[in-house]
Amino acid sequence: MALNKKTLIGTVGYHILGNHSMPPMLFPHLEALSLPDHIKVDELNWGPVAVVQMFEAEEPSFEKVIMLCAIEREGREIGEIDVFKWKGELPDEEQIQACVGDAATGVISVENLLVIGEYFKVWKDEVYLVDVEPGPEVAGEQWTEGMQNAIPDIISTVKRLAIEGVDDRMSLKFLQGDTIFNEETVPN
Amino acid sequence: MCFKNLPVAFDENGKAYLKEDIANPYEYKVVDLGVEQDKLKSLMEKNGFIRSVDYDPVTRVAGALAFHSVVDLKQGKVLSTNSMATLFRGYEIILKGRDPRDAAYISSRACGVCGGVHATTSALAIEMALGIKPPPLGIVMRNILLAIEYLYDHPLHLFLLAGPDYSEELVAATNPELIPIAARTKCKNKDVHGYDTILDIMKDLNPLKGQLYLEALTMTRVAREAYAQIGGKYPHPQSVVPGGISVTVTMSTLNEVYTRLVKFFDYGQKTTGIWDDVFDFFIEQDERYNQCGERPATMADTGVWDRPDSYDGTFENCDKWGEDRWSTPGVLVDGEVVTTKLSELNAGLEEFVEHSYYEKWDEHKYKIDAKGYPLSPNHPWNKDTVPKPGKQSWRDRYSWDTCPTWDRMPMEAGAYSRMYMTAKANVAPSSPYLENTGYSMKINVPKYNLPEKQLEWKIPKHWNAFERNRARAYCIPYSAMVALENWQLAQQLIRNGETAVSVPYEIPKTGTQIGFGAWGAGRGFLTHHLIVENGLIKNYQIITPSTLNAAPRTPWGALGPYEEAVMNTPVLEKFKKPEDYKGIDILRAIRSFDPCMPCTTHIMAKDTDHVVTREVTTCACGIE
Repeated sequence: MALNKKTLIGTVGYHILGNHSMPPMLFPHLEALSLPDHIKVDELNWGPVAVVQMFEAEEPSFEKVIMLCAIEREGREIGEIDVFKWKGELPDEEQIQACVGDAATGVISVENLLVIGEYFKVWKDEVYLVDVEPGPEVAGEQWTEGMQNAIPDIISTVKRLAIEGVDDRMSLKFLQGDTIFNEETVPN
Repeated sequence: MCFKNLPVAFDENGKAYLKEDIANPYEYKVVDLGVEQDKLKSLMEKNGFIRSVDYDPVTRVAGALAFHSVVDLKQGKVLSTNSMATLFRGYEIILKGRDPRDAAYISSRACGVCGGVHATTSALAIEMALGIKPPPLGIVMRNILLAIEYLYDHPLHLFLLAGPDYSEELVAATNPELIPIAARTKCKNKDVHGYDTILDIMKDLNPLKGQLYLEALTMTRVAREAYAQIGGKYPHPQSVVPGGISVTVTMSTLNEVYTRLVKFFDYGQKTTGIWDDVFDFFIEQDERYNQCGERPATMADTGVWDRPDSYDGTFENCDKWGEDRWSTPGVLVDGEVVTTKLSELNAGLEEFVEHSYYEKWDEHKYKIDAKGYPLSPNHPWNKDTVPKPGKQSWRDRYSWDTCPTWDRMPMEAGAYSRMYMTAKANVAPSSPYLENTGYSMKINVPKYNLPEKQLEWKIPKHWNAFERNRARAYCIPYSAMVALENWQLAQQLIRNGETAVSVPYEIPKTGTQIGFGAWGAGRGFLTHHLIVENGLIKNYQIITPSTLNAAPRTPWGALGPYEEAVMNTPVLEKFKKPEDYKGIDILRAIRSFDPCMPCTTHIMAKDTDHVVTREVTTCACGIE
């Protein structure tokens, strides 16, 4: 395991959507964590194209990226945490152009961010999603109890992943660009 | 006399009054859209085929705006169109009861691209309601900020979103007969863009890989960098406040802005040269392209960019400071100017909800404005937003968008309306960089790497998809020159020691204050109507350009601008089997409006079971 990889923890998600807004709401808490100098925390809601341009300008590059997101997926309990590793690959060009269209016009989507980052080759060694089940989308600034109870685990998972890397407590799943819009995971 | 349909007349002193001999002056006819649907159904039955279509959003994140058409592929004609907003956004409801100072920050979130214009329009509404006059440098910096926002927005649309429709890949798939002609057609503007043939341009318009596509991505970054110098961040600036801006402006700030702004001098020349070449080529190949997205040049624009020596924020003087703007507010009906006065623009506005998922409201509290102009019960100051979700029906209600009209006419909005209105009205004060002639706008672009050049945008004979985009391309040097002139004013103000950028103000704790903000978004007309009561927002109404453009039919059955433009669009695409039909002509027509909200288009081919579904994504700005 390579230590001290330059790492970015990024939060992705809309505000004021209840549990779905956990990542941006957790951002100030993550930013306040005591983390080694090689780990930076940033909000990644300001557009995948702008994020790509930020990565292109970053010297030296981030070697590890951890995105905190909350995507509703079937078969999970609210607050359940999955750690996905991004395996690359791309959807067809029509889909990529649709991603750029959404991205350039303000749509916030972790899938778009992953695909556009992959297309413009800004992801280096490791990209992870810490994805927490938010349940159905509701308006508001409050979390449900399930999400609230998961917060210590979420912070702990993100921190461990950033400092130590994947450990035994994480059951790693895998995602790649050509299947991500079908909400499919892929084998390692 | 600017009103032909509203019951408003003017006396010999020019004072407006409500015509007295009409029993119910604001009454209007509501037509049964079922008649049209029955006709369409009967026509399709005769041809032996009816099919229901699922109009759900097609992706998880998109689908906020959808468009439905029925096309006769044999005749090459569009038979029916419906534009629908499929999401309720409800900023009007979110803002009710809040401190007016929150409005600029909250309403900015109505859009992921044009947040700055929403914030500014909100600030203007509060300035009018409370009588706040920003200092000159505050006004000038706001002008620069919003000109830069357009410099982000227009390249994004022209090259990332609309550009691919004219790329080699798309043209080869939809009109392959044009490719060999494009390969031998020489460009007229090689001196500014460097491309030898039209096909060379088309290749670089290819999505994701073309050099023009990639260059536009870079230019959006340049604009964002300049924007952040003043706004603090993009797309939701932190520094736009009622009474000016909240950031200290120094020569250093101006220098940082200028180093980015100059890049748009050459880019403006290049962009206009490219799109002139491409659009001229299409129209020279087939005159029927003139009908693509064609509708009368009936448009409304709020104007934008205030003169620091004229703007005082008041309703009383809004006609004067409005006409003094670098872009002229007003209304065009079939290409003719009917007003350039903000008070008349405001007084003629109405919003209808007969085909939208809202309750009608009963109150008619504001019968006249402060100048005595009669106001309809459907005027935004009288409107109440009450959502009423229901079943989608082409016969009845089918959109979350309302139907705004001016003088009972659907109005189109766009960056191009700003340019058309200003050129045609020819009332804007003189400028070293801009010259309006009544039939064109001349833009004097200074030297950067390219030599200086006078560009001229001419009011076109046909108002169609190609001309919308051509005018939008010219809005790049237009916006850059307004930014440059304001940048020079800012320098002078700082040299003179006039460094104040905002004024303090108090929100009155009692009484009622009323105002409206009028400022152009990247895609044109934007108004925020505000009523403050006892220190809190009592009513807030937003009309975005897409509220106008994506409107459903009026109660009396007139088509909304998207609907009308698509109805007039011929099918010029070449295909062997209906299944191969891609709907490129309709997509060009809709995309030329730069539709707000990720827009999904469904085209149903008559006599077939083929449904074309395409994303027409542009900005994520609000409809209602």
